[in-house]
Amino acid sequence: MNEDYLLNKRILVVDDEQELLDMVLSILIEYGFQNVKTAKNVREAMEQAEKSRPELAVFDVMLPDGNGFELMEQLRKGSDYPILFLTARGEEDDKCKGFGLGADDYIVKPFLPKELLFRVMAILRRSYKDENPLVCLHGSQIDFSRAEIIKNGEHIPLTAKEHDLLSALYRNAGRIVTIDALCEAAWGDNPFGYENSLMAHIRRIREKIEQNPSHPVSLVTVRGLGYKLMIKGK
Amino acid sequence: MKSIPKLIRRFVGIMSLSTILLITLNIAFFAVVFVRNTSTFSPWDMAEHTGAALQLTDSGYFVSDDVTARLKEENAWAFLIDNDTRQVVWQTDNLPGNLPMQYSLPDIAELTRGYIDGYPTFTGEAQNGLLVLGFPKDRFWKHTRASWDYSFIADLPQNTILILAVNMVLIFLIYVAVDSKLLRSIRPIINGIQSLSDGSPVHMKEKGVFSELAEKINKTSEILQMQAELLRKKETARANWIAGVSHDIRTPLSMIMGYAGQLENSKNLSEMERKKAAVMVKQSSRMKDLINDLNLASRLEYDMQPLIMKQENAISIIRQVIVDFMNTNIDDKFPIAWKTADTLSACYINADKDLLKRAVSNLIQNSINHNEKGCVIYVSVVEDNNTCRIFVEDNGIGASDEQIDRLNNTPHYMICDTNTTQQRHGLGLLIVKQIIKGHKGEILIDHSEYGGFKVVLIIPK
Repeated sequence: MNEDYLLNKRILVVDDEQELLDMVLSILIEYGFQNVKTAKNVREAMEQAEKSRPELAVFDVMLPDGNGFELMEQLRKGSDYPILFLTARGEEDDKCKGFGLGADDYIVKPFLPKELLFRVMAILRRSYKDENPLVCLHGSQIDFSRAEIIKNGEHIPLTAKEHDLLSALYRNAGRIVTIDALCEAAWGDNPFGYENSLMAHIRRIREKIEQNPSHPVSLVTVRGLGYKLMIKGK
Repeated sequence: MKSIPKLIRRFVGIMSLSTILLITLNIAFFAVVFVRNTSTFSPWDMAEHTGAALQLTDSGYFVSDDVTARLKEENAWAFLIDNDTRQVVWQTDNLPGNLPMQYSLPDIAELTRGYIDGYPTFTGEAQNGLLVLGFPKDRFWKHTRASWDYSFIADLPQNTILILAVNMVLIFLIYVAVDSKLLRSIRPIINGIQSLSDGSPVHMKEKGVFSELAEKINKTSEILQMQAELLRKKETARANWIAGVSHDIRTPLSMIMGYAGQLENSKNLSEMERKKAAVMVKQSSRMKDLINDLNLASRLEYDMQPLIMKQENAISIIRQVIVDFMNTNIDDKFPIAWKTADTLSACYINADKDLLKRAVSNLIQNSINHNEKGCVIYVSVVEDNNTCRIFVEDNGIGASDEQIDRLNNTPHYMICDTNTTQQRHGLGLLIVKQIIKGHKGEILIDHSEYGGFKVVLIIPK
């Protein structure tokens, strides 16, 4: 699936350390992002947000004239774009507070460029998924907006559960998703005891997406642990 | 306070014993004195005897020599009052001079009961008269008007016992009263000392018999509280210091890691240069892990990281840990094999999810760190009646018996209270131990049947 459209998203990075800003900027630009703005404090961030209407904000939790949580509360009043926290404190209370207020994810410093990019892309993919709905697999395509599979020119509809499961797998494309996480995605907060149902659903999804369902190449089993969705070009 | 009833029992025991001992001793003492002062000699017997020995012959009254000798020996004198004339008809030579020679009936009654002219006298029956035996004035004391109610004498034995019993009860009551007062005043002191040993603050009223002691206990409590507060402050300061340092290192390390990461993948650099950048990435990652470990270890050590315990499915937690490793460690040097039985899909334990994840991932990371050449890591969960056992093993280089023994038994340098320069095992395992301790579980380190290292976490359900 072509994700280039995500690289056009406007990103605002806020951190009080100029050098860290430079580094994040260089990582994002090197990856191909074109609209990245920076700010060094809450005041600048508010101005920049007003001016450039970001589609993703990356904040440091500690800022010289306030903290990231307060800034998020203020920014959240007007709009609803995703927020990723950068924090130098790995402690639980900060994490909980961030998520409670609606932060989408956080990264504890120090981090590797690939970690940052993975989180940024994951958030963007999750938040702005409708622009290009076709996901290319080896042997078929998924159209999430229509909830169907296109295989050999044929349109095969997905059930709601199959759609939920494929979405969860697609959000983590190329990575293993545990059985528990998949059950939670399909059956909600109390997902225990659904393992057999999950297996049945996976079998039906394979029949829809795989050229040869008994030798799956797109939806791979990792025995005892979970499943992995392989996308073309990944 | 368990010892107070014990104390009372002991006091009462000692008191009863001492009372019984005292009474026995007294009785023995009186018996000895009585026996000593009561000779076999009885003046009444002697008078009787002398009276019987007196014989009337033709030449008058006559008494044998041995009776005379016996009288002399006792320094006694005697005379005989005739039945009819009430005149003295016989007398010994040593009769005091001023005694009357004629006796009326009241005189006889008087001398029988008591004295003649201050001399103690005793009477005995003789042929035709009454024999009167006299002794020196200081030889006997006579009770001249002795008479008691019959019932008094009849009841004397039980009255004596009653009085003794009442005495004992009285002594007992006095003792208990005094003792319980003492114990009452001791009780706050005992409570105070107990609180001291519990480490809770003590403030006692400084009055009464033990005011001085109370004052000292209060002072001790103050000192202990001050020391505890000081220690707490020091520990907080130390944990904060570690947290502060690790926080401050994170931002500069971010830049090293970030740029090194970029260089590692830069297409403008030669293979050699990219390798150097890769080393920087790897080493900065190690520093990052170290900071995280140091911070968490100190928070756990100083109880600054409260465990949030919930019913959790251990299988699902560990599955997530493994998958996280698989998703980030892309190279095939460290494959992870999930060895849990397919039939076991849930094992519920009371656990802090994040910390348990951390413990298991530390163990997996340990296997990775210690096996440069790569190894297979085997993870499994086994459930029994009361525990959930999490096995993390590998087929790597393993450890010697001695090393395993040290890992099981030697404290880490962070919690070791003696000076040490010897490098011990890393923080990773210390954290695992701390976390498992927080879960009231056990940790076993051993050789693995796969050939390498094995750690088993045993967590109660």
